[in-house]
Amino acid sequence: MPSLRTTPALLFGKELRELAASRAWWLLLLLIGPLVGHGFITAVELYAEASGSGGGPAALAQGLSPLDGILVPTLSAYDLAVTLLFPFIAIRLIAFERSNGGWKLMLQSPASVPAMLAAKAAALLAAWCVAWVPALLAIALWHLYGGWLYAPETLNLLLGHLLRFVLAAGVAVAAAAIAESAASAAIAALGFTVGTWVLEFVAAGRGGWLERAASFTPTSALRVFELGLFRLSTVAVTLLLGLGGFALAAIWLREGWSLRRRAARTALTLAALAIALAAASLPRTAFDLSENRRNSFPAADEAALRRITAPLHVTVYLAAEDPRRMDLDRNILARLERILPDVDVRYAARSRSGLFEAPGDRYGEVWYEIGGRKLMSRSTTERIVLDNLYQLAQVPPPSDSDAEAPGHPLAARPSGAAWVFYVIWPLAVALCGWLHFRSRSR
Amino acid sequence: MLLSATGITLRYGAATVLDGVALEVRRSEILGLIGPNGAGKTTLFECLAGLIPCDAGSVACEGELFYLPDGIRPWPEQPVRWALHFFEALWRRPRGAALEFARGLQLVPLLDARIGTLSKGETKRVLLALGLLTPHPLLLLDEPFDGLDFRQTRDVMALLRTLPAAGRTLFVSIHQLNDAARLCERFVLLSRGRVVGCGTLDELRAQAGIAEGGLEEVFLALT
Repeated sequence: MPSLRTTPALLFGKELRELAASRAWWLLLLLIGPLVGHGFITAVELYAEASGSGGGPAALAQGLSPLDGILVPTLSAYDLAVTLLFPFIAIRLIAFERSNGGWKLMLQSPASVPAMLAAKAAALLAAWCVAWVPALLAIALWHLYGGWLYAPETLNLLLGHLLRFVLAAGVAVAAAAIAESAASAAIAALGFTVGTWVLEFVAAGRGGWLERAASFTPTSALRVFELGLFRLSTVAVTLLLGLGGFALAAIWLREGWSLRRRAARTALTLAALAIALAAASLPRTAFDLSENRRNSFPAADEAALRRITAPLHVTVYLAAEDPRRMDLDRNILARLERILPDVDVRYAARSRSGLFEAPGDRYGEVWYEIGGRKLMSRSTTERIVLDNLYQLAQVPPPSDSDAEAPGHPLAARPSGAAWVFYVIWPLAVALCGWLHFRSRSR
Repeated sequence: MLLSATGITLRYGAATVLDGVALEVRRSEILGLIGPNGAGKTTLFECLAGLIPCDAGSVACEGELFYLPDGIRPWPEQPVRWALHFFEALWRRPRGAALEFARGLQLVPLLDARIGTLSKGETKRVLLALGLLTPHPLLLLDEPFDGLDFRQTRDVMALLRTLPAAGRTLFVSIHQLNDAARLCERFVLLSRGRVVGCGTLDELRAQAGIAEGGLEEVFLALT
């Protein structure tokens, strides 16, 4: 009687077994608990101090957000893990099977290369989910302490980390498929990470396409979610990069293809990926999912701005490295682009730093034009710029302003967290690992 | 004819590894591929299986073939039992087929051992079981007796001899000429990437121009 198990289930089971046999995965599990624990305990203590744990009033209560105070520092352990530990697990899953000959047998199996890669991806996701148990424990502990979490911004941040995983997996799998050995693949995967850091460093303050490209590096992409933003272009670009890695792997894992054929398919894939990435980076659609609407104008202002239907042209005489330009970009222009239907921004400063602009170069001016009417301002303050826009567009400014979002101060001690993350979790992982490896010994 | 290959050519840089190889595999026969080290036996098998792209030539095969490489140790962290059951399920073989081949290849005591802990001969028998679990009409076996002791070689040979009656065809690469002579009905003699002889022992003797002698004498005469 034929087996009732389907091929995808069989492949998934096989990959799970291979992952469970990987010491790198067990090491990741062992380390992730203390890493998350350190971030969580430090965050809770700092949060308590800022909430007035010394007995005084919570001086910063209005600004206390669990997203910044607890979630981001706690989950930053996963950014570290996915950068420095996870690639080795993903690489092993491909490179080890190639080196021991199992891949030659699998290539002749009824399963296609994409199906086998999909099984590996699913197993990696499952393994990564297990590694997220300490994060869930931290969230549960925060709730036990009486802490507040805003679901949309929490889920958005989890999505950001999931996309970070997809990207890391894609890069690692592609490196393992293209490189001759696991060691070379590891160097290539880490080289990609270092390359993105270099890109961020070089692009800082330069503006133009370089800065645009740097806004999609793994670190920058994750930062978008840490700010409580759901930006469609970030999601699409990160997903495409990750899936692109898997597509390249599917080409290089076909051992029967000649080098020329692989190179041609790679070039085609890269060209298609470049076009898709360029298209994916264009949409300006973004949603501010943060509880305190840190990425948005007040709701009354947004309603008033939506009445402006004419195109807005902005000419900025500020250099890329000028802090005022950064304030203007982040706090004004990025928000306007999400609300107004047509915003065209032109950066007219000639230098990078703005230190050597001549007096006649209009340096520091920002010109706004709506419907043929122009107005110049040197301010980067939100209220002043908005009032200028209402005046230009002849739109009445809102009469009422929003109430500020309430902060969530909590002067709690991280009771029991040290035991959970520094003792119980490592012991549980060590015990499970020992039982697993003992059951497999001859 | 189950498989027909013509003009198989493969070059690595300036070196020609396979040079216009042409051969035929008949249905339900045991065909031996013999030749000195470096003759290109493994490379030829990998070309026929589609694991290495050829520079020239064509392969026509009625049905699919399965190639069992030599010198591999797949999934070394997993137990033998899992590997056999995995192949049984993957190839939709009847339940119990894995255990049947395990018994035939004396693998039952090793079922719970990890593949990575097996000796060379034990690993070879596990690989043979995996190969036999596939449903393909044509099996390419690269050095199936490498690492086996005399008794194991004899037992495996007896098992392989039963396969043609069950409708399977074997194309076997063997560097031990005595083993090849005991198992195979016809031979392809490969030397420096070229087929220098093909046929039964009598036909090879005729090609070598010697009246009598075994496969060794033919081999020496043709290479």
